[in-house]
Amino acid sequence: MHRAEPALIPAFQRPASHVAIRRAESYEQDLFELIYETLRELQKREENERVGAAIKAVGTSAGLSDIRGKTVLLKPNFVGFDPLGVMNTHPLVVAAARESFLKLGAAQVLIGDGPALDRDTEAVVESVRLREYVGPLRGTFTDLNVDEVERVPLRTRASRLKELYLPKTVLGADFVVSMPKLKTHHWAGVTLSLKNMFGIVPGGCYGWPKNVLHWAGIDKCILDINAALRPDFAIVDGINGMEGNGPIQGIPKKGNVLVFGNDPVAVDATCCRIMGLLPERIKYLVGAGTLLGHLNADKIEQLGESIVSVRTRFAVLKEFDKIKEPTTERN
Amino acid sequence: MQPPADTDLVSTVCLPFLQAAQNQDGGWGFHPGFSSRVEATCWALLALIGLESSNERQQEGFRFLRSTQLPDGSWPSSAEQNVGCWATSLATWALLRDAQSQTAVSAGLRWICEDWPRGTNFLARVMRVLRRGNQATSQDDTLRGWGWTPNTASWVEPTAFALITLDQAPKELLPSGATRRFQYARALLYDRMCPGGGWNCGNPMVYGVPGDPLVEPTAWALLALRDEPNRRENVMSLEWLEKNVSGMLGAGSLALGKICLETFGKRWPANAPDLKQLYARNEFLGNVPVMAWTCLALNARSVWLGAAERQSDA
Repeated sequence: MHRAEPALIPAFQRPASHVAIRRAESYEQDLFELIYETLRELQKREENERVGAAIKAVGTSAGLSDIRGKTVLLKPNFVGFDPLGVMNTHPLVVAAARESFLKLGAAQVLIGDGPALDRDTEAVVESVRLREYVGPLRGTFTDLNVDEVERVPLRTRASRLKELYLPKTVLGADFVVSMPKLKTHHWAGVTLSLKNMFGIVPGGCYGWPKNVLHWAGIDKCILDINAALRPDFAIVDGINGMEGNGPIQGIPKKGNVLVFGNDPVAVDATCCRIMGLLPERIKYLVGAGTLLGHLNADKIEQLGESIVSVRTRFAVLKEFDKIKEPTTERN
Repeated sequence: MQPPADTDLVSTVCLPFLQAAQNQDGGWGFHPGFSSRVEATCWALLALIGLESSNERQQEGFRFLRSTQLPDGSWPSSAEQNVGCWATSLATWALLRDAQSQTAVSAGLRWICEDWPRGTNFLARVMRVLRRGNQATSQDDTLRGWGWTPNTASWVEPTAFALITLDQAPKELLPSGATRRFQYARALLYDRMCPGGGWNCGNPMVYGVPGDPLVEPTAWALLALRDEPNRRENVMSLEWLEKNVSGMLGAGSLALGKICLETFGKRWPANAPDLKQLYARNEFLGNVPVMAWTCLALNARSVWLGAAERQSDA
């Protein structure tokens, strides 16, 4: 395992996190410029704030400010066969992020995912039309379900799992970017950058679906996986999201945003607030807020658009009514 | 790249690929140069047995499988793991072709018949009845098949793999509980069919919404149930497969769809893509099981789904 293990830092010791919200109403607009400029802004901010060992304190193994020469892995949410483009991270967002990290000086930018329900990863990725936007898939895209694996002892005991076999492509990357789609989820409430990391658990070891994670507790496993391998950065595709019975059978919902940040907990909490949901009532986010990042809005510095200006209420299944923000006539 | 002819794809691409991808330890990884894995080895062996005479390469593959069997008779997905999984059915299936492996096969069959999925004990079933009306999924949990890994629920593909393996095993090697497992598992597959035919991983309905079938689980379920070609569920599922074959975008699905339709005596639809076109596009992403399934789909000599004929040493 090449990556440094993420530091598990109590929220009260963790400096404030930055999350950038950018309005983006269409996949046809210049996403490269939008993503590149946002990454540059966050990079500059990080460089300015980076004093001594401060970067260690925020718990990342790598930062945007030292991306030059590094291997970046983009982990989109390619959850299933989706010719209509409803459930997966849009390939134009992935392609624009790839170009942006290359322009920032990354030595190579890989793309990888391990769909949970459909074993035919080639079909999933072709249905997404990734090849149209990033070129030949061999050498660029890794099917994490059938990658080489390495045993990783879990550092936390949220679930009863003591270890997981994880893909070497992920473990060997210097900088991992979780790129989920903005969706509600029928078991977990929401699926964003932390839940997206389920996709790194290889089907070749655990099957399709990775049912061992369900039996060990989805919420608990999200914590254990991210404590073992916390993404260094998150970019959430909220241009078109999904509400209701996600992650597959929900209803498409326009969100008109991209959300960025180096603290995946803060990014997910912000996305919840954009969707009109209460992150403090989502079990795994509450757990993540203790050691993996900031849940509390007071500790998240918002850049770009305000949450209120882009808020789009997403419907949830009635089982999750309790996570909905109370509505008033004014908001 | 000019794609090779369909008939040449096996001899010029897939067979040399599989031959070259074998590791020193006799096994195959999911990709050339990767560490050997039980599942990839099984598919490569089943494909090669249909393409070549018995030879030392195959014997090395069989030896790899025997060497990775765990003391309880099961196989893990990778040699470093110490817990058996669905690969047990595949390894037993492949070793049924080897005369030297009867002990390993017997132990594998025993493990398969003793490996019960989770969530089906008496208390769990009572709880399910009490919670009826407040359930996310709609299925009969008294039925039991096989899970991907121990202590998890039943799913379509591992259940189909186990059924095919039990079906191929000589009767004298089957443990006493095999018939009961067979009946439960077949019933489970029919119960888990999606409402309009076809199967996905095993969730036909979630929160009242019908699940969408997928090609690979549909093909495996149909192959496991192929002795009832006229049963309503199978007819519906074959119709779904025929209708959807033209939209297949992955070589793995295409190969398994072709195997399945031809096993049921159906003609390959004229508008379906062919494997050589898909090879030209992504070279099957260098995936060993997909190369093996392509060999099995295009190789008319293949008898991999028939009763096992065992090989002696080369």
